[in-house]
Amino acid sequence: MKKYLVAYSISLQETLQRRSTLIMDRVGGFAVLLSLYSFWNALLGTKPSFLGYTRPEMLTYVLLINILRSFVFTGRGWQLVGEISSGRISSYLVRPLSYHGYALSLDLAQKTVHVASAFFEVALLSALVRGGLFLPRDPATWALFLAAAVLASLLFFFMEFMVSSLAFWTSESGGPLFCFELFLAFAAGAFFPLDVLPEGLRRALSATPFPYMVYFPARVFLEKVSLAEGARLLAIEAAWLAVFLAAALAVWRRGVRSYAAEGG
Amino acid sequence: MRAGLRKYFRIWTRTASMAMQAQLTYRLGSFGFLLGKMIRLLFFFAFVVAIFNHVDTVAGYNLVETALFFLTFNVVDMIAQIFFRGVYGARRTVAEGDFDFYLIQPCSPLFRMVCSTVDFLDIITLIPVLVMVGMVFARLPPLGWGRYAAYAALTANGVALIFAIHVFVAGLTVRTQELENAIWIYRDVMFMGKFPVDVYARPVRWVLTFGIPIAVMTTFPAKALLGLLTPAWAAYAVVLTAAALVLSARYWRGSIARYTSSSS
Repeated sequence: MKKYLVAYSISLQETLQRRSTLIMDRVGGFAVLLSLYSFWNALLGTKPSFLGYTRPEMLTYVLLINILRSFVFTGRGWQLVGEISSGRISSYLVRPLSYHGYALSLDLAQKTVHVASAFFEVALLSALVRGGLFLPRDPATWALFLAAAVLASLLFFFMEFMVSSLAFWTSESGGPLFCFELFLAFAAGAFFPLDVLPEGLRRALSATPFPYMVYFPARVFLEKVSLAEGARLLAIEAAWLAVFLAAALAVWRRGVRSYAAEGG
Repeated sequence: MRAGLRKYFRIWTRTASMAMQAQLTYRLGSFGFLLGKMIRLLFFFAFVVAIFNHVDTVAGYNLVETALFFLTFNVVDMIAQIFFRGVYGARRTVAEGDFDFYLIQPCSPLFRMVCSTVDFLDIITLIPVLVMVGMVFARLPPLGWGRYAAYAALTANGVALIFAIHVFVAGLTVRTQELENAIWIYRDVMFMGKFPVDVYARPVRWVLTFGIPIAVMTTFPAKALLGLLTPAWAAYAVVLTAAALVLSARYWRGSIARYTSSSS
């Protein structure tokens, strides 16, 4: 365990050392946040609610998108692709550590910094705009939201890991990964609540793991689902995580067997 | 002058041909990137259309007008992506020493760095965008050729303004050999151009018109077509672009003068 804590600590220091990169990342993220907030604000106009979301709820959804994107969508996919393609991964395979555990430690370090920044941005924007925020009063809602967000983060990590592992067989896995990430961002509700979509499409998406990454945790936070229903959906999310954990590990094992250390 | 233009056209077609061959070689990767770009375009367009199933106007614009703003953003952005793609690899060009070779070639180093990489996937993605623009034009009331000419001129003006930003970023990279994320900040901030500038609060609108002039690049052309842009604002757009081009060229020359070669 200690070696993963050291990896986490070093990665945290590295992320904080590259301050200009971090600040630029966050400025870009804040622009997207401001843009989405403004669009929804214009959409609401003088109406008390839109698609069942009141103004504070809609503002909270947009701000939650920022926090959940920072917490959920910070995988190690592109680094894995680079390490396999360049052969650098060989040096990790011969070390006495689990590559998944190591990658999770680095990912957690990134999440720590980005979530802290996201909270600052959210506080800034919520202080600047009118309308107020929706904050759940029931502690059970907070617990359910945290559980849903943690599972979402792990689900994304292993899904992305699985897609990135294509690099064991092809040097062109960047294309599928790019496509996967873009599709995921939309299907997860990371740009807009899925309630906007037609009923048929929304139902189809709810049969996939994607809405569990942003849309479901956000709905839990906004108390749009009852605690019982939330617990049921959390169980489904955990089942999806188990499926993708098993699949990612299976793909990894097969990939390592066929790995030829090209370029390394 | 004509001989110079012919030379640059030949260089561009040669490097474009090489880029196309590379993209055709990596079929899976290219297909993934192409599919991702299409997903991004279609999902956002579907989102805009889905929104108008619930409301009649957003910030005073109906579906056809909002689609015009969104598609104009895509036209300007994609043309810039097609022609100024080289800036995305500027840091590597400088860090690995390839920029030294650009400087001794009988060709403008700025042209080599900014314009000699062409993304053919964006050319393919631009085709459906232009078809959709044609469909939007067909749904607008008769406007007269003057409006369409103003639209075309201000779209070209927007692309020129983006070119000035790319030149500035290229100069920044030559000076610092860092800030690889500078161009990504531009990409993220450009996200705000997906919606008409009128959705933003007054201070943000002011920044987007005078500070980071995304409104000039993406909103002004569509407003000119709809007859909502006064000649004074159109003149402002042209003067701003001329000033940005002059200043960015001066900054680039200053960067070249300070360049001491960072690698070999």
